[in-house]
Amino acid sequence: MIGSTLFYLQRFSAVFLLFYTVWIAIFFLSNQPLEYNSWTFFTSQLEFLVLTTLAAFTLMTHAFIGLWTIGTDYLTSRTIGFLNLAIARYAGLIRVVYTLLFCLLGLFFASMILFIIWI
Amino acid sequence: MSTKHKKVRPVYINLFEIKLPISAISSITHRLAGIYIFFITLPLSLYLLYFSTNSYNDFMMLSNSLKNSFLFSTFVTFSFLVYAYHILTGIRHLLQDIHIGESLNASRASSYCVFFIWFVLVFFVIFRAYL
Repeated sequence: MIGSTLFYLQRFSAVFLLFYTVWIAIFFLSNQPLEYNSWTFFTSQLEFLVLTTLAAFTLMTHAFIGLWTIGTDYLTSRTIGFLNLAIARYAGLIRVVYTLLFCLLGLFFASMILFIIWI
Repeated sequence: MSTKHKKVRPVYINLFEIKLPISAISSITHRLAGIYIFFITLPLSLYLLYFSTNSYNDFMMLSNSLKNSFLFSTFVTFSFLVYAYHILTGIRHLLQDIHIGESLNASRASSYCVFFIWFVLVFFVIFRAYL
């Protein structure tokens, strides 16, 4: 159950972020060259604030699942063992440190997004 | 127990000797691009968003450094092209998840298609930005 939930979370968050990116890209493409006034007007409207807040949470979900998958796929004693057997003994530790690092960074980035757009 | 083996089995795997199929290349680079986006493009976007909306002076400072600094503008352009690449290969994966283009030939064709679209985008951006 958890596996399929993660699978669908990854895909639905991808679709949301795709549409969010297209929306931002359309703004940039239709406002060339970019002016300060039109840009700050765009970033202060309610649609931008709400959708960017949603994007911050969606992005963290998407990035967490993606980076966690990469960690469990490549940061194992088997895969690191291809490169160096001595380091491969610490594969579990390396993976935990890596997971903690990107979790902390993700929380920091998400809070920075909210801080920048709302304050 | 026979000790005569005809084939010499590899005792280690040389990553440079392995030839990946084109669809595997698009898959692994999608992952690499994802890592790059999380650790580089995302904080860069936050930096750009913060300073471009902070004040008019900061907006002009950013605008000038994008115009005048070749290094900074190339770094920003590259970071967003990597994001575009992740989106293109991601759309390919999403289509395969809903069972479109799952066959071997279709998977190869869509990989070439994605690479082609991305290279066109890269040339277009280089043309717009530098020429």
